[in-house]
This record gives sequence, structure tokens and C-alpha cells, in this order.
Amino acid sequence: MTRSLTVRILGAAALLVALLVALVVRENHARATGREVRLPMEAVDPRDLLTGHYVALRLTQLAPAGQPCPPGSSTMEKPGWIALTPTATGDRVTGAGADRAAAAKYGPILLRGTARCFGDSSDPADRARITLDIGVDRFHADQRQSEAFDKALRDRKVGEASAWAIVSVGQDGKGRLKGVIIDGQRADLTWN
Amino acid sequence: MAGYKARLEQDLDGWIAKGLVPEASREPILAGVAEPRRLEASSALAAVGGLLLGVAVIAFVAANWSGIPRLGRFGLILGLFLAVCGGAAWAGERRPLARNIALLVAALIYAAAIGLTGQIFDIAGDPRSALHAAGLAAILLALAGRSSGSAIAALALIAIADGKFDGVGGGQPPPWLALAAPLGVGLGWAWRSKPLVHAASLALAVAGLLVLVWLKTNWPMNLDAFAAALGFALLAGGARYLDERDDPVAGVAYGWWVWAALAFFAAAGFGPHPPEALLHRPLWLAAAAGVIALGLHDRRGVVTAAGVAFMAGAVAAILADLGLGLMTAAAVFAAVALIAFAGGFALRRRVRR
Repeated sequence: MTRSLTVRILGAAALLVALLVALVVRENHARATGREVRLPMEAVDPRDLLTGHYVALRLTQLAPAGQPCPPGSSTMEKPGWIALTPTATGDRVTGAGADRAAAAKYGPILLRGTARCFGDSSDPADRARITLDIGVDRFHADQRQSEAFDKALRDRKVGEASAWAIVSVGQDGKGRLKGVIIDGQRADLTWN
Repeated sequence: MAGYKARLEQDLDGWIAKGLVPEASREPILAGVAEPRRLEASSALAAVGGLLLGVAVIAFVAANWSGIPRLGRFGLILGLFLAVCGGAAWAGERRPLARNIALLVAALIYAAAIGLTGQIFDIAGDPRSALHAAGLAAILLALAGRSSGSAIAALALIAIADGKFDGVGGGQPPPWLALAAPLGVGLGWAWRSKPLVHAASLALAVAGLLVLVWLKTNWPMNLDAFAAALGFALLAGGARYLDERDDPVAGVAYGWWVWAALAFFAAAGFGPHPPEALLHRPLWLAAAAGVIALGLHDRRGVVTAAGVAFMAGAVAAILADLGLGLMTAAAVFAAVALIAFAGGFALRRRVRR
């Protein structure tokens, strides 16, 4: 009885550790094999006392001047699919839909999440603003690095888009953060 | 405070002096009464020392956390989890208390490990899924090591996960507590664990509420809430039946489910489709009075307390309903008082016969 109890406890512990290791390996593989996209971002707050130091990310982009919100993005309330199209200035949101097929009409790269667009396209000076929620909202780094990133983001001039989140889009449509580019300096997530 | 054996020794001496019990029976009677197990001072000091050492290690690691490579951090967390599980396995059947505490700590470390793994490797995830996963892991540890502590941690983690609402329009997924709470009640009963039956009985009441929210029942006259009250009243009745037959843990569930039944009954009088207040409030008062009588009869303080608390709630609700209609309030209270007197009188006559 004692021996079987010991075996059961050790077996359960080994299974739980294996599950956690499998999660890390699977996520890392999906991150490495997914399609890489560059999404413009803003910083919000560099750290949190309870969860350590990080750069909080807000994935936001402006629609081209005079153009309306991408189709489906001004009415999107529940998580669905976002269509991205690569451009010279990063990957841009070109549409959104409730399911994969609906979003596929608007762009070649499909990402799960929510895109919300606000703005008045009738005013050429007022560009529509699109905010993405794809589950990627922070980049953990040590205190020195996260404070340096935060300062660089806050010192940017209006209209500059020198900060990017590097996101890997897997076959499952999930976005996984690979790293960030701030002021031309790229920082990737590594095992170290 | 004198234990049962000490009190029995005093009583036996008195009975022997009066000639009620032969002196030769004294030792065999006392030998048949086991002394409750006490935690020795050395064990208590060892436990305190172990806890402080753990805190010191945590503080040291936290101070150097950012300097440790990611894989090292991950290895530290998994190593700590495995070490605590190893301690539980070592304690085995010989030290059930140590095993129980170790598995409770292991369940909490695993919950933290899920969150920290997400942070270390920047793995984005839904907080509710992470808490559910931690709850499942705690259930696995509880079943593997027969640990009531780990089972209680599982109920708490799943309850927190279920309580994370998506907000308006987000929709509420089915509450896992609706499965976990009955499982916890069953395990608590099987293991004769009062702490687990406490936690699981309360969790069952919370699960009842979450199920109503999830199903969006919206029945007329709040019949869904009345049905839940009836369900918990039946459960309380069943637990009381077992309690009267000396079941060691049924009394715990009995108390919680009386509270749950009264809470659902009281809540049924408010909300989207309340029944006629003139019908609900007197029944509420009568139910509270009946529960007070039941608690006094069964010598269950927690049941009596439920009756008193909900009696006060009913009075407050009636006064709020009626505003300045004090004559009507007086009539309602007088009617319920007459019913209570009549019930008490009838019970007394039955007892005398």
C-alpha cells in the first residue's frame, strides 16, 4: 500500500512536469516555424511589481490617410480572425472576419484575435486607428533592458513607427511573440 | 482543556465511588479509549524551521531571479515542485499529515509554475485556462496522494477560474466547479475529511450559482432560484439523515447546505422576475423560523445561525418593501409569530405523548 502510494505520487509529479515541458517545447516549435510578421506597437508601462519587469505592448497601427477602417474591423466585438498584408512598412491589417474563410478574402496572413478600428475617414487629417488584441501584450526582460525600451518608446516623436513587435503566426492562427525591434535594435526571445 | 479521556477518568471515579461501576472495569474501559494524536513540540519546531528555510530560499532566488538564465529558472521551478512531491512520497502512509501538507504546497507551486513558465518563455495564454489547468493538476495530486489539502486547492483554483467573467456579450463558458464540487464532496466523504467537506459543500453552493448564470435560465417568477433552494434543502435533508446516524462528516455538509438553501430562497425574491412579495416574504420568514427551530433541536449552532441571519434578512426586506406601511408589517410579523407559536405548541404536545 505504502509503495503504491509513493509510486502514484511520483508518477503524478512526473506526468505534470512532462506536460509543462511539452507545453514549452510545443510553443517554442510553433514560434520557430510560424510565419514572421512585423506589427507596429506602443509601450504602456515597463514593469509590474508582482509579475516582474516587462515592456507592456499595445499593437496599434494607423490606416493610410483618407482610407476607411479595414472591412470588418469597425464592428468586431468578439475574437475572430484578422487578415494581414505585408508592406514595406510592416504588416498591415487589411480586414477581419468572424471565421477564417471570411477573413481570408482580405489578406494572405491570418491571425486569431480582435481588431478594433476607430476614426473618421471623411477627414483627411484624422487617420483611422486600429488596435489589435492577439494575446500578445508584454515582453519580459530584465529591469535594465525593459527600462531602456520604455524610454526609447516614450521618446519617439509623433508619427514615428520605429517600434515593432515580431510575431510568429502559426498554422493554428495563434500569434506568438518572437521579439521586439525598438530604434532599430532587435531583441529576440532566447533560451538564455 | 481536559480531553475526553480525562473527563471519563473523573466520571469513572465518581461512578465507582457510588457503586455504579465495578472498580475492576476501570482500566479496561480507559484502555478502550484512544487518546487523540497530538503534534509533538519537536515536529512543530521542525515544521516552522522548514517553512522559514523555504521562505529564505524563495527570497534568495527572487533577489537573483533576473540574473538566472531562462532554462535555469524553469529548471528551478520544476526542481522545487519535484522536491516537494518527493517529500510527499517519502512521507507516504507513515506521516499522513506531512504528506497532505506537502501535496497542498506542491499543488500551489504547480499553479505558480504555470504562470511563471508563461512569463519566462513569453507564452501568451488565457488566465482562465491557466487556472483550470492548475486546478486539474491539483486534482491529480489529490487523487494520487489522497490529499484533502490538494483537493481544497483544486476547488479554490477552479472557483477563481470560473469566476473570471468575459463581461457583457462575451458569454460564460460552463463552470468546471459543477463537476469539481461534487467530486470534492465525494472525496471528502470517502476520506472522512471535514476540511474538504467544508470546502466542497461551499463550492457546491457556488457551483449552483454559476450554473444558473451559465444557463441563463431566466425562468418566470425566479423558479430557477427556487429550484436551486429546493435542491439544497433536499441535500441538507440527506446530510441530516446521515448525521443522525453518526456519519462523521455529514454534519458539516448539513450546515453549509442549509445556508445555501436559505440563500437561494431569499435571492429568489429579487432579480429579474420576482414573485409577489406578499407571498415570498412570509415564506422566507417561516423558513428562517423553521431553520432556527431545527438547529436548536439538532444542537447544530451553524444551522441555528443560518436561521437567525436569514430571519434578520427577511425582516429587513419586509421593512424595505413596505416603507411606511407599518400596519401591514405588523400584520405580517403577527401572522408569522402565530404560525411559529402554533408549530411550537404542536411539537410540544407530540413530545409529551
